[in-house]
Amino acid sequence: MMPRSWPTEVWKDPWSLPRYRAGALWLGGILFGIVLISAVVGELCVWGEKLFAFLSHLGLSVVVVDWIWVLVKLGCVIGLIVANGLWAVWWERKISAHMQSRLGPMYAGGFHGWAQTILDTVKLLLKEDITPASADKVLHALAPVVAIAPCVIAFAPVLFGKELAAAKLDIGVLYIFAFAGISVIGIVMAGWASGNKYSLLGGLRAAAQIVSYELPRGFSVVPIIMFAGSLDLAVIDQAQAGYWFGFFPRWFIFYPVAGQLSFLFFLIASVAETNRTPFDIPEAESELVAGFHTEFSGMKWSLFFLTEYGYVMLASFLLAVFFFGGGAAPLPFLRFIPSWIWMMGKAMLMMFVFLWFRWTFPRLRVDQLMEFNWKFLLPWCFVNIAVAGLILAWGMR
Amino acid sequence: MSINPMNSTPIRSETSGLKTDTLFLNMGPQHPSTHGVLRLGLTISGEVIVEAMPDIGYLHRGVEKLLETRTYAQGVVLADRLDYCSAMSNDLAFCLSVEKLLGAQVPKRAQVLRVIMAELNRIASHLIFFGTYGIDIGAFTPFLYAFREREMVLDLFEMCCGARLTYNYIRPGGVASDINADWIARCREFLDFFKPRLDEYDTLLSFNPIFLVRTQTVGIITPKTAVAWGLSGPNLRASGVNYDVRQAEPYCGYEQYDFTVALGKTGSCWDRYFCRVVEMRQSVRIVEQALSRLASGEIMAKLPKVLRLPAGEAYSHIEASRGDLGVYIVSDGGLAPYRLHFRAPCFINLAILQEILVGKKVADVIAVLGSLDIVLGEVDR
Amino acid sequence: MTREKVLSDILAQVPGASAAAAPVKDYPTVRLSQPSDLPTAARLLKDELGFDYLEMVTAVDWLGPTKTEGFLPAVTPIPFAAKAPALPVTPAAGPDIAYRPVLDLLWSFGNLKTHLKVFLRLEVSREKPEVPSLTGLFPAADWQERETFDLFGVRFSGHPNLTKILTPDFLQGHPLLKDYVHQPDEFDAD
Repeated sequence: MMPRSWPTEVWKDPWSLPRYRAGALWLGGILFGIVLISAVVGELCVWGEKLFAFLSHLGLSVVVVDWIWVLVKLGCVIGLIVANGLWAVWWERKISAHMQSRLGPMYAGGFHGWAQTILDTVKLLLKEDITPASADKVLHALAPVVAIAPCVIAFAPVLFGKELAAAKLDIGVLYIFAFAGISVIGIVMAGWASGNKYSLLGGLRAAAQIVSYELPRGFSVVPIIMFAGSLDLAVIDQAQAGYWFGFFPRWFIFYPVAGQLSFLFFLIASVAETNRTPFDIPEAESELVAGFHTEFSGMKWSLFFLTEYGYVMLASFLLAVFFFGGGAAPLPFLRFIPSWIWMMGKAMLMMFVFLWFRWTFPRLRVDQLMEFNWKFLLPWCFVNIAVAGLILAWGMR
Repeated sequence: MSINPMNSTPIRSETSGLKTDTLFLNMGPQHPSTHGVLRLGLTISGEVIVEAMPDIGYLHRGVEKLLETRTYAQGVVLADRLDYCSAMSNDLAFCLSVEKLLGAQVPKRAQVLRVIMAELNRIASHLIFFGTYGIDIGAFTPFLYAFREREMVLDLFEMCCGARLTYNYIRPGGVASDINADWIARCREFLDFFKPRLDEYDTLLSFNPIFLVRTQTVGIITPKTAVAWGLSGPNLRASGVNYDVRQAEPYCGYEQYDFTVALGKTGSCWDRYFCRVVEMRQSVRIVEQALSRLASGEIMAKLPKVLRLPAGEAYSHIEASRGDLGVYIVSDGGLAPYRLHFRAPCFINLAILQEILVGKKVADVIAVLGSLDIVLGEVDR
Repeated sequence: MTREKVLSDILAQVPGASAAAAPVKDYPTVRLSQPSDLPTAARLLKDELGFDYLEMVTAVDWLGPTKTEGFLPAVTPIPFAAKAPALPVTPAAGPDIAYRPVLDLLWSFGNLKTHLKVFLRLEVSREKPEVPSLTGLFPAADWQERETFDLFGVRFSGHPNLTKILTPDFLQGHPLLKDYVHQPDEFDAD
């Protein structure tokens, strides 16, 4: 019996295989397409102002107009989170597959499995919703809602492009961190209400981890706030516009020492906050089966998943705004490309970093995680703030 | 010590006066990381293990009893199904024992073929360990890399004996079928492909800082403890005890091959892991040497179709992938063994778990259990 | 140290020990005369002769050929034949291979430095098989003695946790005894 195709044959010269070339081309095309779609959506946002003006002219009362306006924006944000879930899961499958010498979804929808996650959503909606006999029924049903609601709310001041946000808040950074911290209640609730010891352990681990990593996450961006002089995301974005020597972008990540350290700390803390590998101990599938969401099925379970991907996207946008100049173009002559394209591209790049981490690193142990946070990350965040102060004192502004 | 969830003793914290209680956690037999159907009764205080009781027997098929009513040719099939991740080793141990009692001489070519197959199977088996241990620690990607290479070994086995998991290839007196030039070329191709991959594994997992932190100070077994609990194979050598049956009591002409025995220093989980990674390199060396000394000749000794062993007893043991696999055979001169006992290395390696888990974290249970590399088919028999 | 030296040392220092008439092929095999000699011999092997590695604990039931009632098929080289040709079982031969109602216990000790191996044998009655446990000297005996207890019913006195290990709790009897007949239970119904 002859063996089927061996990796040795593929590895000799992968580019000589037409299928390999076509696949790479298609994946590149899809990425380009996504960015293009985001650009179109961004352009449509101008219509938002026109809609608001139209509503005001209808002669409705101010309160009603405001309500409709808020609902429209809420719909946009929720739509974004759901669409992000669909996209991110597909992308994660594809990326993990190609990292692991697999192909990932290839059949659903006919082309590179593009419809896989859409059909998965349909499946999840049709699935039986199981509540364990030993569960606390009310809390069990409430937990996914408590987890996802703060995620949606936290998106209010997030900047999707230059001046493009659902709400303009002077304390945007504080607001986001404050609301992002609430989701942990939903997770602890899920762990407790499931009536399962593994879930309980997962919920308790999540509580300890997320509350602890709030601190370095908040402190790691203090240098950025010092550089920008504001908590408003739009101001932070504006502060990074322009170029040194006419070509080198004035992004905060390029500020010596403090910028890079701040980026690193914020990235690590963000990974920990979103419960992803190497900090996925609340759901550690090899120890706790699936941690706090072991006993959830169907749409309840997918709400947890949406929350996770929502927070990944939130962290990606924040990373883009804080460190990569938000909507600013990397080189002066590229300024003709609209800011939302840059924003989306940078956020997607950061999201890729999250996925990359997940499929490369092993998982830390719970006490090592805490040790890393309290004995390493937090003290160095303070040192970093001092460094930022020195930079400001020397007149980097 | 019975596993009784009601037996947990309350612990009173001296400093705070708070009354705390232990929790009984039932890990397995349906749990993703117990590598089959092992059940661990854990009494935990917070995340710390107070007491650990492994509970086995979920896969007990009574192989030793079944063998008493099977002829020796049929016995190979049952031996296959003990440690199903390295079935060649099981066949080899069984056949060596039968041949010893019979006093049969195995042809030279068959001996070299046995070495090739046993070492290839060791690679395949250690690859499973490498992949699943990555998953245990939380890294999923190494698993698929390991299975890509294992697939090639299984393809080689399929080419030569038609089976991919339970081979029934090594038979009393020799081996079932010969290999051809195409197979040898394929095998060399695999070895050349595999060697650089081992370096890749080291950068991906072995020296990953998180992996080191998780495993290097965890589950340390001192040489004395390891010997006292009867550990064998990489688990024993990771503690620094130089005992490899291939060198201690050579069989199949292992004394003619040039290879070094991988020894660990501290006996931690990482040492046990790395011993296996180094063993894969050594197995590649042995297969290369064996391929080069493969001379033409018979592959099966002239034995009667229906074997009858003389009355008596024999014990022979080999270095299987998971340790010192011994077969004790008693014959009363009949068609079937009168009594056959497997010294199953996994069964004996697993017993140490109740001692070394106490005081560890829940996450360490998985790290330690994974590093012992058990196959429940052999534990339960 | 050679095999002969090990054998003579044990024979000299353990009262009642003798070289087994039918040894395990190629290995020094010592037959003990009574259960109380076992700890003495084990301690001698471990502390003075360096056999600190307990390899194997097992037993052989010498009652006679396995009973094939219940769910075991009769021995035949052609298992698929409708009516298996009955092949005569050769009668037992040799001085130590004689069917008798005893359990023959076997311990194997290894010396990891000299790569030597010694087998200890001890016959106990089938009615009340009881021997001292070696768990105090060799932790490795823990599970292997439990296995021997489970499958043969040998009671190891002094074992801290002598409970069933491999067979399910509801199983009656000790399956590796030659007169064991499977009692149908709830799982046997089709």
